[in-house]
Amino acid sequence: MTITADPVLSAPPPAPADTPTQRPARRSIKLGMWVGVAWLAALALCTLFAGQLSFVRGYDTKLKVGGKTGRYNIGPGTRAWMGTDSSSHDVFARCIYAARITLTIGVLATVIGLVLGGVLGIICGYYQGWADRLGSIVTDSLLALPPLLLALLLVYRMDDLNKEYSWLHWLTREWEITLTLGILAIAPFARIARAQTIALRDREFVLAARSLGAKSSRVIAREIVPNLIPAMLTVAVTGLGILVAAEGALAFLGLGVQRPLTWGKMISDGQRDLGRAWWATIFPCMFLFLTVISFNLIGDRLARRFDIREAAI
Amino acid sequence: MAGTGTAHLRNAADTLLRVENLVVEFPVGRTGLKVNAVSGISLDVLRGETLGLVGESGCGKSTTGRAIMQLPRPTSGSVSFEGKELTSMGGDQMREARTRMQMIFQDPISSLNPRRKVRDIVMEPLTIWKRGTKADRDQRVDAVLEEVGIDPQRAAESQPHQFSGGQCQRISIARSLVLDPSMIICDEPVSALDVSVQAQVLNLLEDLKARYGLTLVFIAHDLAVVKNISDRVAVMYLGKICEVAGSDELYRRPAHHYTNVLLSSIPVPDPSIAVQRHPIEGEPPSPVLPPPGCRFHTRCPAAEDRCAAEEPQLREIGDGHFVACHFPVHGGDAPVAVRSSSSAG
Amino acid sequence: MSLNVSQAATRDSGDPLLELRDVKTHFRTPRGIVRAVDGVSFTLDRGKALGIVGESGSGKTILSRSIMGLLPPKGAIRSGSIKFEGREIGNLGRKKMRDVWGKEMAMIFQDPMTSLNPLMKIGKQIAEPLKIHLGMDNTSALATAERLLQDVRIPEAHRRLSQYPHELSGGMRQRVMIAIALACGPTALFADEPTTALDVTVQAQILDLLEEQRKDRNMSLILVTHDLGVVAGHTDEIAVMYGGQLVEMAPTRVLFANMKMPYTEALLQSIPKIEDPSHTRLMAIGGRPPDLVNPPRGCRFAPRCPYVREKCENEMPPLEPAESPGHVYRCWYPVGSPEYLEFKERNEQAAAAGADVPVAIGGAA
Ligand SMILES: Nc1ncnc2c1ncn2[C@@H]1O[C@H](COP(=O)(O)OP(=O)(O)OP(=O)(O)O)[C@@H](O)[C@H]1O
Ligand SMILES: Nc1ncnc2c1ncn2[C@@H]1O[C@H](COP(=O)(O)OP(=O)(O)OP(=O)(O)O)[C@@H](O)[C@H]1O
Ligand code: SF4
Ligand code: SF4
Ligand SMILES: [Mg+2]
Ligand SMILES: [Mg+2]
Repeated sequence: MTITADPVLSAPPPAPADTPTQRPARRSIKLGMWVGVAWLAALALCTLFAGQLSFVRGYDTKLKVGGKTGRYNIGPGTRAWMGTDSSSHDVFARCIYAARITLTIGVLATVIGLVLGGVLGIICGYYQGWADRLGSIVTDSLLALPPLLLALLLVYRMDDLNKEYSWLHWLTREWEITLTLGILAIAPFARIARAQTIALRDREFVLAARSLGAKSSRVIAREIVPNLIPAMLTVAVTGLGILVAAEGALAFLGLGVQRPLTWGKMISDGQRDLGRAWWATIFPCMFLFLTVISFNLIGDRLARRFDIREAAI
Repeated sequence: MAGTGTAHLRNAADTLLRVENLVVEFPVGRTGLKVNAVSGISLDVLRGETLGLVGESGCGKSTTGRAIMQLPRPTSGSVSFEGKELTSMGGDQMREARTRMQMIFQDPISSLNPRRKVRDIVMEPLTIWKRGTKADRDQRVDAVLEEVGIDPQRAAESQPHQFSGGQCQRISIARSLVLDPSMIICDEPVSALDVSVQAQVLNLLEDLKARYGLTLVFIAHDLAVVKNISDRVAVMYLGKICEVAGSDELYRRPAHHYTNVLLSSIPVPDPSIAVQRHPIEGEPPSPVLPPPGCRFHTRCPAAEDRCAAEEPQLREIGDGHFVACHFPVHGGDAPVAVRSSSSAG
Repeated sequence: MSLNVSQAATRDSGDPLLELRDVKTHFRTPRGIVRAVDGVSFTLDRGKALGIVGESGSGKTILSRSIMGLLPPKGAIRSGSIKFEGREIGNLGRKKMRDVWGKEMAMIFQDPMTSLNPLMKIGKQIAEPLKIHLGMDNTSALATAERLLQDVRIPEAHRRLSQYPHELSGGMRQRVMIAIALACGPTALFADEPTTALDVTVQAQILDLLEEQRKDRNMSLILVTHDLGVVAGHTDEIAVMYGGQLVEMAPTRVLFANMKMPYTEALLQSIPKIEDPSHTRLMAIGGRPPDLVNPPRGCRFAPRCPYVREKCENEMPPLEPAESPGHVYRCWYPVGSPEYLEFKERNEQAAAAGADVPVAIGGAA
């Protein structure tokens, strides 16, 4: 509502303005969130209980036509809802299994980004001065490089390290990708944590705690972190969607996980034969797309709920 | 000396707080300019005394209060509290010293952490300093909550937003009391409250002061409120002190032209009194580029050439009445300085 | 301004500008019905200034919003009659109210920081209503805007037209708000705590400005505030609200000279006065304002009144006229009555004996 609408109301009345014009928008955001939640819940259930569900075939089950396997021998239909891929596996089943690894990578990477970025951001925002300058150099340089280039560098570097040092044997491709995505996520998380900490730092209850003689660590743990949580969770949900998509992009560049497949790897494998068997690419794409969108819708709703400005993200 | 002088400082034995030439500057982005929030203020407060600090919004009252607490540390100047110099103290010593002085803030609601229970908020200082046993602490917190008129039971169950503004202010007062401080800095503790609640809080502060022998620094922009609670009042304008006097004396015989303006702006709750107005036009100048000489000369009705050229120093014009003005309302013009005035604003 | 000349003619008929009869505004909430405004009646003449005073939560804002038709759409139940220039406006829809807003009634709010659109230049914000309501073209709207800024004493008015709100101080922004409200020459201006967010010096300037503009434009002013001091020097009449009800109303001088309601007296005594020596004990009103879901059965002030008797707790006092014309109050034992004096003496003796009466610091308030 602005002056253009009615001059007297040059300001919206302080009471939560619930004008008719705003209502549909608010409702559609709410609806969007529930659609997102429904999709993610269904996906999570199928993924967790894939072994027990009769409509999900085994990961390695091959579908035969006339007793023989064959490249893309079945299109979408009643036998295989989403057809089969180049090695006769059911695309639907593989999409479900791929969700496991894709989401695990996404969640772990988010946690890494959240924790490291959060700590970095809080330190920068709280101590300011040289700590802030140092932290800003780190985040700025992380943000300055094109993310995919950075990811490529990181993954190749870790590949080398893996070969060089035997104690790094656990560093499989999955972990490499998780760590890489986690590192990429540090900068955005650090930024928002820093902005929020600076805002909170000058709030009077934080000053009050400091004037009581509380140590910095206590002020951060008791006064700042609890008030950061809503914002950070919101960003984490939106970020999870972005990281899932980023994993797809990495797979497309040939940095995929070998087995089990991820959606990204499925898409990059299938796209060579797009003309012949569109289903092997389109369906994983759909899964990826719906998941990313769902996270975004939920993130949007949370951001509105907690009143977090997008500029900060 | 570039400040407004230290003539008004007393050399009493029971001085609790002594601030000399306090300067606080904030950088303006990366422009190299700075906000001259506080420019050379000197104050002293005796044990058991209430010092009022008045002035317009943005004149640096809160900044002064916070600089006394070393939150953040001032740019320069000295703050001595209970005989110890705070500005050179290390971190741990400073944390210890802060328990002896407390601060209450303007916005009662935002000075309490919204995500914690009220009782825990009041308990926090005792927890930080691990004072006494758990039972001692519980007892102390209950006693203080009762004292300020908050039901301890309800405080244990509720978060700050479940209390009214006046109650939140009582809760912050309780929190500031549990450690038994010797001084409380009250930064506009009643500005956000209704008149009737304001009276409750002012009365409460007076009672607590008597009971605990507290020393108060009371910051406000309302001269009537300040007068009611203070023994001595310092008037601030744009980061400097204009006038210091006992509160009754200041009201009876204001000497600085700015004090006059402030006094005549107070709404009088009696329509039969015709207020004699000393209106001033315009807004206070920016603290980034404060006017040279007397900082008030751009709006002062009595300004002369000398005011823009030379900064007035605080000087005594009556018993305990100090003014920084070349041509005050009363008390005689300031003698022309012997030295050439090289003082910067 | 030319528009004022044409409107002034219609303004001088005899009947009151604003007439309220038994106005009620209740809110449906999970806790029950909140009786925010509970049966308010009064009349206001053209060109007069009315102050509405009362504690926080007494219903001042909701009353002025009810008159302006600016209630939140959710859960508000409104009844009673509101006549403006003889026309019933209480039941007009938002669409019809649009013609009334700005031209007939305008409002300025408490917080000048959030009341202006931060992304629109000052000039445009003032010109917009002129274009919509008065059909001015861009050039003349901007010229009028500049004149309005001069009217509200903003220096360098021309330059300010192209500034954004954040470039102005709080006092300046409140002046701009006043300029916007005055733009279409309203007959009545509602100011809801216009100076609460401002400094004392700026407050004095803004109040003087409102008074001057009211006189120049022969406009009515409704000034809402919790501070009796603010309204004393700037209004013709004062209405005191308590717990959603009108508890006393009188011409300003009469009210201060001869207040009847113990609540009005308490409100006045709680203000620190500059003439009193420092450390004068303030008279605070103990306790808390009434719960508007379950208000007290009798007098709403009874739980906090130092002169309360049994009758007060059981029967609601009616709004009765006092000796002087235009003075009404709602109290069984008004200030100056024998019962009042008896209890006053009792309270004073008790206070001398050390009890914290008559008006204690609010106990478990
Ligand atoms: N952290 C900061 N960074 C930059 N400038 C600041 C900061 N804190 C205060 N200032 C500036 O310093 C000046 C003094 O501010 P201060 O808050 O002390 O004023 P005040 O007298 O307390 O005003 P008010 O009555 O509005 O609280 C103002 O111009 C303000 O903008
Ligand atoms: N939308 C609403 N729903 C329910 N109750 C409401 C609503 N708006 C206001 N109220 C209640 O109505 C009562 C009167 O509120 P109002 O805002 O008019 O008070 P006020 O006198 O203006 O107080 P203040 O000085 O704090 O502005 C309050 O108790 C408030 O809680
Ligand atoms: S020194 Fe000059 S400008 Fe300053 S207050 Fe005194 S007369 Fe006014
Ligand atoms: S009616 Fe009774 S309780 Fe109410 S104000 Fe009058 S004396 Fe007090
Ligand atoms: Mg301040
Ligand atoms: Mg209100």
